[in-house]
Amino acid sequence: MAEINHDQGTPDKKGKKPVQKKFSTHIDMTPVVDIAFLLLTFFMLTTTFSKPKTMEVNMPIKTDNPEDQQKVSEKQTITILLGNNDQVVWYQGLENPTPNITDLSASGLRKTLIEKNSSVYSKATILKDSLSRGFIKIDEFKKRLGVIKQDKSGLIVLIKAQDESSYSNLVDVLDEMAVCHIGRYAIVDITPIEIEMIEKI
Amino acid sequence: MTPMVDLAFLLVTFFMLTTKFRADEPVVVDTPSSISEIKLPDIDIMTITIAPEGKLYFNIDGKKTREKVLRKMGERYQVEFTDAEVNRFSVLTSFGLPIRELKQYLPMDETARKLITQNGVPYDSLNNELSDWVRFSRLENPQFRIAVKGDRKADYKTVKRVIDILQTNKVNKFNLITDLESTI
Repeated sequence: MAEINHDQGTPDKKGKKPVQKKFSTHIDMTPVVDIAFLLLTFFMLTTTFSKPKTMEVNMPIKTDNPEDQQKVSEKQTITILLGNNDQVVWYQGLENPTPNITDLSASGLRKTLIEKNSSVYSKATILKDSLSRGFIKIDEFKKRLGVIKQDKSGLIVLIKAQDESSYSNLVDVLDEMAVCHIGRYAIVDITPIEIEMIEKI
Repeated sequence: MTPMVDLAFLLVTFFMLTTKFRADEPVVVDTPSSISEIKLPDIDIMTITIAPEGKLYFNIDGKKTREKVLRKMGERYQVEFTDAEVNRFSVLTSFGLPIRELKQYLPMDETARKLITQNGVPYDSLNNELSDWVRFSRLENPQFRIAVKGDRKADYKTVKRVIDILQTNKVNKFNLITDLESTI
């Protein structure tokens, strides 16, 4: 393996000075490199760079006292019901609702939400634009986005899931809230009337 | 050759130092994806894992906290834990066993422990051990952030139950662990 050239420095036959003993210091690097690359591959494959990401959820504080509960304007309110087979049912207002059926794709629920939340959404888009052009810093952006999202004219979304709804659908809907810059939303228990409504569709 | 070896070793060193081995978990969950880019902090994390069949697994970090919480749980459910068992528990990660089974589980060795199927921490209204775990952990370390790690296929019923348990413990703010959405 690690061979050293034993060049015995034999005196020149022609009778000149004996050449100084020469040891070649070259050792065979191949096994070292093999091991190095083996380890490299091992660590590259086992390492996980992506740390888990999280989304924050704030639940409304449970209260039995009706005076503590917030009153919300009917026009501003949208209720999203998670149906079966990744479908979503939404209706506006609270009385005599007309249920609409849609899905969780970009052209489905998101389109509706952006439409209904247009005032806030356009403000947030302008803000995002000025961030990407470098007019404002990220801290400033976050602060101002927070203010925009809490705007009283913005949409209020109530998310209601059935017992059989899948968790991934719930996360998808929560994700839509982030995409559409909806700051005021809550996860609420579903009522029997609404379950009936989904079944009818 | 030498520059290549240098580079290879440099990379090896880099990966060796940055790599962090995944903790041994009793269940593997496939978390849903979201656009959220908030990173989960490294410390003071309480994780409640929801497996697809509605089983729950509980984990908290901090060696000292784990010791104290286990002792308190032992007192509450009249299960006596020896010092060795408490020590063992403090270095483990996620678990999904009722407290009585935990008593039998802890003295086992590594291989025997792997063979045990963990059926989740009980969370029904008769025997709500999960609620006690959450309560005692929060008493011990009020800094805990609560992360719910649900599987894609978990049903909302279980998730709702977990949220209810958290809310009865006055936790109205928590995190849902998600993957970063790849295409958006």
